[in-house]
Amino acid sequence: MKHPIYSYITALLLAGSVVGCQPKVWQAQTPNLEQTDVAIDSTLTADPEAEAMIAPYRTQVSAKMNEVIGTAATELRKGDYESPLGNFVVDLMLAQTNKLVATPADMAQTTNGGLRVPLPAGPVNVGNVFELMPFENEVVILTLDGSTTKEMFDFAAKTGISPIANATYTVKDGAATDIKIGGKPLDLTRTYTVVTSDYIAGGGDNMTMFKKNLKTEKVGIMMRDMILKHIKELTANGKQLTADTKKRVAGVTQK
Amino acid sequence: MKRRDFLKYSAVGAAGLTIVGLPFTSEAASKTIRLTILHTNDQHSRIDPFPNDGRKYGGMGGMARRASLVEKIRKQEPNVLLLDSGDIWQGTPYFNFFNGELEYKLMSDMKYDAATLGNHDFDLGLEGLAKQLPLASFEFLNANYDFSKTILAGKFKPYKVFEKDGLKIGVFGLGIELEGLVGKKQFGETLYIDPVAKAQEMVTELRENQKCHMVVCLSHLGYSYETDKIDDRKLAAKVPGIDLILGGHTHTFMEQPEVLRHESGHETLINQVGWSGIYLGRIDFEFNKKTKQKTSIKTAALPVDNPVLTS
Repeated sequence: MKHPIYSYITALLLAGSVVGCQPKVWQAQTPNLEQTDVAIDSTLTADPEAEAMIAPYRTQVSAKMNEVIGTAATELRKGDYESPLGNFVVDLMLAQTNKLVATPADMAQTTNGGLRVPLPAGPVNVGNVFELMPFENEVVILTLDGSTTKEMFDFAAKTGISPIANATYTVKDGAATDIKIGGKPLDLTRTYTVVTSDYIAGGGDNMTMFKKNLKTEKVGIMMRDMILKHIKELTANGKQLTADTKKRVAGVTQK
Repeated sequence: MKRRDFLKYSAVGAAGLTIVGLPFTSEAASKTIRLTILHTNDQHSRIDPFPNDGRKYGGMGGMARRASLVEKIRKQEPNVLLLDSGDIWQGTPYFNFFNGELEYKLMSDMKYDAATLGNHDFDLGLEGLAKQLPLASFEFLNANYDFSKTILAGKFKPYKVFEKDGLKIGVFGLGIELEGLVGKKQFGETLYIDPVAKAQEMVTELRENQKCHMVVCLSHLGYSYETDKIDDRKLAAKVPGIDLILGGHTHTFMEQPEVLRHESGHETLINQVGWSGIYLGRIDFEFNKKTKQKTSIKTAALPVDNPVLTS
């Protein structure tokens, strides 16, 4: 069957092509294609062969993952600059690290890219923490000089991807001002210690300033294990998972 | 044909308008070669659907479901290529406990034709990758990593040419700069080479030497950055001659492919389908059987519970 609209459409498209060939080197065209993605959802039946392949693996994973270790009052999500999930993670990194080391660290930071999924409201199980932090990253303490510390804050101010514990700052013209660490203004003449992951310490997520660290010390625990430990401790103390909501970053509009 | 059908299926470049799933007339079938490209990116070890607990994308995804969708499309379409743009690994406990073996087994079961390497595919180091590669029945294609000083030397081809009904489709892969994204101990002595120069080289090789009628790039560069960092859009602008860039890394949900046109009139399509296998990308091409010229591009639209576009 030939559709009457067929030739009309052809002519239209060819005309469009001619119009599109302006003497520019190249240009973005108004997309004229339809949506291309086919949803993988519950309307699809699982392929039996693939299911059979997955089943024995799933049994083993489920047994380990379904253990409930805590409860969250509300969902903890990540977001630019400061967020419930970002604050929760960096705060526990600092608190847990400072239980394990002789000299308490000044700050903790991570990057949003490493926080893979939100923590759900309600029961939190081992699987949720695995999904949040799937990477095999170790916790480290970096010693930074004052100017490198400033660079860390500038990076956070510029990108919005780096939540920081025990510090506040104001974003101005894409850089950090009015930086306070533990309530005290940043002192460029001294050194600071920052808890982070070995991945970020190596310049990961473009935090290249960390490569200028004066010292790297391993805390001796994996990031994920530290999060699991913290949640179990909260539960043991009858506490839910909550995020600190005090304002840390000024000068930006939260999305 | 209802008007709604027409609205949902627009074509690019030239003629051709049909409904996915409906058989061609014999006249049309004798004159055209139909090619269906299915693709994923950033699967991130999402074996099972996201838990349906009210979270975003809850209840969506799942590799066994994707397997049945792919099989269904293979039954309907004569020529299917199933491709992946990297970051197959990392993101669920399946990966942490089984080191990626189930991901490769399921992709092999679905008969993936090719994939490229994403940064997270290095998460278990070169040794981890080397260990699981024998489980993958499909090729990993990469043109801009030099593995020659590593244990993976010779394991990856820069491109592969697929032939479907006499139509030659050249597929090559490009990876993102590893420094800063992947630990040095993971990527070792793997060298990153400028993807623009390599892509140009691939286009020349595939078009002139391999006589390909279509060139597809599997890219893990990322869709678009505001900085100078190379991305799929900049690649499309700088390297003429790529027909389709299937991207990844930035987890971009594109509702439709972006079309970028060069001065020559040649069009490059860019597409990416988010992450975690929430969607399967599908793009249908038609080529003139004699000239092997592209005559239409069309994209299947909807969730498969509502495949025919009425109402």
